[in-house]
Amino acid sequence: MTKKTVAIGTMRRALRRADTSLLLYAIVLFQASAMLLLTLRTDPIDTQSLILAGVMPAVTLLCVKGLPRIWKIDRVILALVLFLCSVSVVTLTAIARAPITPLTQAVYIGAGLVGMLAAIVFIRLFRHWNRWKIVFMLLSLGFIALPLLIGETKNGAKNWIELVKDVVGVQPSEFVKVSLMVVLAACLAERQSRVMKALSILFGAALCVVLLLERDLGALLLYFLATVILYFIATSNGWLSLAGLGAGAAGAVAAYFALPYVKKRVVDWRNPWADASGGGYQVIQSLIAIGSGGLIGMGLGLGMPRMIPLYHSDFVFAAICEQFGMIFALCLLAVYVLIIMRGVSIAMSCRDGFHALLSFGIVTILGLQTLLIVGGNIRLIPLTGVTLPFIAAGGSSMVSCLAGIGLLLGISSLNADRDEDDVRRAEWQEGERA
Amino acid sequence: MKELRRNMRLIGTLLLCLFVGAGGWFGYTTWTQGSRWAMSSRNTRLSTARNTVVMGSITDRDGYMLAWTDADGVRRYSNDFAIRLALSQTVGDTMSMSGTGVQTFFASTLVGMSGSIIDRTWQWLSGETTRGDDIQLTVDARLSGVIAQNFPSGYDGAVVVINYKTGEILAMVSVPAYDPANMDTDVADTAYFNRCLQGQYAPGSTFKIVTLASALENLPGALGHAFTCTGSHEFGNGMVTCLSGTKAHGQLDLRGAFVESCNVAFATLSYELGQSALLRTAEAFGFNDNFTFSDVVLYASSFPKDIGSVSELAWSGVGQGRVLATPLHMAMIAGGVANGGVVMEPRLIRQITGSTGIPRLRATPGAYRRIMSASTASIVGDYMRGVVESGTGTRARLSGYTVCGKTGSAEISDDKSVETNAWFVGYLEDGAHPYAVAVVLEQAGSGGNLAATLAAKALSEAIELAG
Repeated sequence: MTKKTVAIGTMRRALRRADTSLLLYAIVLFQASAMLLLTLRTDPIDTQSLILAGVMPAVTLLCVKGLPRIWKIDRVILALVLFLCSVSVVTLTAIARAPITPLTQAVYIGAGLVGMLAAIVFIRLFRHWNRWKIVFMLLSLGFIALPLLIGETKNGAKNWIELVKDVVGVQPSEFVKVSLMVVLAACLAERQSRVMKALSILFGAALCVVLLLERDLGALLLYFLATVILYFIATSNGWLSLAGLGAGAAGAVAAYFALPYVKKRVVDWRNPWADASGGGYQVIQSLIAIGSGGLIGMGLGLGMPRMIPLYHSDFVFAAICEQFGMIFALCLLAVYVLIIMRGVSIAMSCRDGFHALLSFGIVTILGLQTLLIVGGNIRLIPLTGVTLPFIAAGGSSMVSCLAGIGLLLGISSLNADRDEDDVRRAEWQEGERA
Repeated sequence: MKELRRNMRLIGTLLLCLFVGAGGWFGYTTWTQGSRWAMSSRNTRLSTARNTVVMGSITDRDGYMLAWTDADGVRRYSNDFAIRLALSQTVGDTMSMSGTGVQTFFASTLVGMSGSIIDRTWQWLSGETTRGDDIQLTVDARLSGVIAQNFPSGYDGAVVVINYKTGEILAMVSVPAYDPANMDTDVADTAYFNRCLQGQYAPGSTFKIVTLASALENLPGALGHAFTCTGSHEFGNGMVTCLSGTKAHGQLDLRGAFVESCNVAFATLSYELGQSALLRTAEAFGFNDNFTFSDVVLYASSFPKDIGSVSELAWSGVGQGRVLATPLHMAMIAGGVANGGVVMEPRLIRQITGSTGIPRLRATPGAYRRIMSASTASIVGDYMRGVVESGTGTRARLSGYTVCGKTGSAEISDDKSVETNAWFVGYLEDGAHPYAVAVVLEQAGSGGNLAATLAAKALSEAIELAG
């Protein structure tokens, strides 16, 4: 056997993707058993939970078994993301009360899965990003500025548009997050001109200004960090990126002195017990919930996670800690890390700059967002109102996060297609020679 | 592309590190502080659980019932009024008025929140009434009651009796107290305050134990040190005086200075030691430590880190100025002397029993730390024996037993307008009865009078009752 055929054999083996069936069945078991347990909680039994106990595993099996037959997408990421979504439904079933119900969350996840499919199709067909990026920029800017004109104020930030009063609303900053990554990746990908670099920074800065006006500081921080990181990766310009970070830090210090609500957040973080029934209330209730959960948690459906303010959105991590305990919560963080590392490896095996930057940007946003909100819940950093990806209640966040994962999966399928072509070509060449 | 991959690897590693850091912080803080968060009075889970859960009982070391929940769900307390009062802040109340009481600090145990998840899930599914865990304390109810009854009337203060070999707290009495069975009656504001744990008092001359140990370990030739006391001496721009007033102690050796509690001699020692050596010894003794004992919330004792003047250094060496100590901490120090220099971690919980009747936690002794070498401890112990035999603490004598101790008369005002706080800390030199005691009587004058008498009574009752 020649050296070449050995190499082809290795390449073919690499193409055979990891066996995810054990992971898949573990997830399905978790979904079914947790939902059945919650079904039995009430008398008469909770039919909604019972339906979900059947639907969730079915959808999971369908997605993880079915989708890779159409496209060669990364099944591990898909399975882990679906696990996080099911943690969301299970947690909300255990603790939430109307108008946030597990059913609405399940509907959001359904919408998100459709968005994910659309994103996979989109990224596989999307070729002329250089032409489209200006259109994307203008659409993003227009969309994110919309709440300033017709928006609603929610939890101190005017970042919300009501589509149908009190029923359906959207938070543009969640969606623009994904398109920011597309635009930055397109601008910074190949043959970077000075104009393009400047334009990418300008675009990031413009979005940040709009978010500042909307007082959506969590999203602002996220956009800022993601822009700086992507800029650094694309240009290797460490000094300018550090200068950008420094400017951001200076801006944060200025915000601390200029904006009373920023100062308050920091003060409440430094010593929440000083104002335990006022500003420190949220963080303290979060810590109490985490402490009450202990290592193994109070048990599903037990405890009083509704004592935590915003238990379904900003503090859902604390609620999970109370229900499932610290060990589970640490495992949950590990799941995020696995998704991110898997995403980084997809980005590394891309052969063109656009796809590499886009997939890396998506996992960066995912990682930073998780760190910001988990750090806020455990009093590592001041609280910022970003959502816990795939878990926090809310449609905009769910759909945009799943759409981002769709882009990542689409890119992974493009990589796999390309690798398969390589193998085929190598085999063909080998055949020619023989 | 190569550069791109390098950068991605760099940022990817950074993200991974951030996650590991956040996870580490989360795990560490939850592990070390989680139960304290859960025990917070702001945890509504506890107060709500009290309504739905049969709260576990609290007994003393002999099984005497201190608090329990009756069939109607009412929280009951011992019928003995003296015991109820004597242990009020130790046992605590259901309204969390006494923040360090067992019913507050161990509320999650008593309402069964710290039990096993299988038990809880089963109880939840089967709809059984949940029952919390029972707690047996190390305290002796009768001993606590007797101490409270022998408390000189008209004075506030605290008495702690511990077993210095195991760290078990045998009695912890803080006066004034309140009646947990009758929370509507008006009591003094400080009645909810456990002086043994939360009372930060100037230790006065009892601090000379620390200064003596520091001198023995840091000053060569300390044992042969001679002092001449003229009743007062100038240190910097301040005057250190002996409390014996005009009467001077005259010529003294080190032992004599300790036995007679000469301020001038000990101010001289602390001046010679210097602030860093004295601070080092004080911190080795547990001063400035945020005690994180599992069984009790003990407030920190403090020794100033930034002594500004020679006179403050001199006064610090005799336990005045900004030096503060809690009674339990001083009892632990006295016990440390008796125990060859090793202080045991204080224990208040003897056993926790789940609803199944199987003990879940049995207390095992653990050392807090070694505060001085065994040879230093034996010299300090010898001097403390001298205090009771022939010095300022003769009223603490017990016939048939060797009591060692140190008195203290801590000034709490600058102009001597109020009486000093009376202190006595000491221990029994007796292998079968390894008991240490600390007594503080607020504004009761000299430590050699009422405080020493009460300490002797507490020790003799401990021998009698706790065996």
